[in-house]
Amino acid sequence: MKKSILLLAAISLFAADTIFQKLFSPKEPTLYQKECGSCHFAYQPQLLPKRSWQKMMANLEDHFGTDATLDPSDHKTIAAYLYANAADVRPKGEMSEMALSMPKDKTLLRITELPKFKKEHRKIPERYIEQKAVKSLSNCAACHRDAKRGLYEEENILIPGYGRWED
Amino acid sequence: MKTLTLTLITTLALASPIDLYLEELAAQAKAKDPNFSGFSAKRGEQIFTSYHIGKRGKRIACISCHTKDLTKPGENIFTGKKIEPLSPKANPKRLQDIKNVKKWLRRNFKDVYKREGTPQEKGDVLLYIINQGG
Repeated sequence: MKKSILLLAAISLFAADTIFQKLFSPKEPTLYQKECGSCHFAYQPQLLPKRSWQKMMANLEDHFGTDATLDPSDHKTIAAYLYANAADVRPKGEMSEMALSMPKDKTLLRITELPKFKKEHRKIPERYIEQKAVKSLSNCAACHRDAKRGLYEEENILIPGYGRWED
Repeated sequence: MKTLTLTLITTLALASPIDLYLEELAAQAKAKDPNFSGFSAKRGEQIFTSYHIGKRGKRIACISCHTKDLTKPGENIFTGKKIEPLSPKANPKRLQDIKNVKKWLRRNFKDVYKREGTPQEKGDVLLYIINQGG
């Protein structure tokens, strides 16, 4: 009787641990995060409209001056992911709002050139952007501490050498 | 015959992915140049550390991002993103995923040399990287 109880307890603990691990472990980085996040922050697809992602994916040989080409299978997977989650395909939340501020007759590639982006960042003193810990406005995660989770609210901003930001 | 088969199987079993890729590159290099007599880490060092006018029209070298010490982390000079050490002795994950190795060799040769590396150049560079650190 005792042995069976012990065995049952062991199995239950093991099962519970496995379930716990699956629910709460950090997710495996997606292919997009792994490939595109290897050189810079993995900008969420909602930050640009579909046409921008299409233009970008068609020109990876000259991706802002660098060769960022992918193997055909990875290219297909990443493109599909970006297009399916682009701002105008899945308009939801602050990120898409920012992307959709793009003039309809333009296809901008830089998130930093979006009208709403410029507006939100216009008051930041240059020195906080140019400092080594940040380098440029393209480096979202340097100040937006929850950027990886797609959260860009003011409460989550901590500028290196400055502190919290209140507008 | 038995000995040969056994040797072959053993070699395949023990060879790491990077060894197999280097053999592949050696075969390609030999096909291009019958006088090819093996890769050289010295040539690889030259390729890796020399500066050239790169894709962006600016002076650049592999060491611009990877630094001269491959056992230390580097930094993407354009984005500031940290790059893990390239030396397999310091970072055992390196040179294990050949798909990854091929991708970065293609991209980074184009960034610095504005063209793909030849099989010999790729082999030279890989041998140089393998020998770093420790």
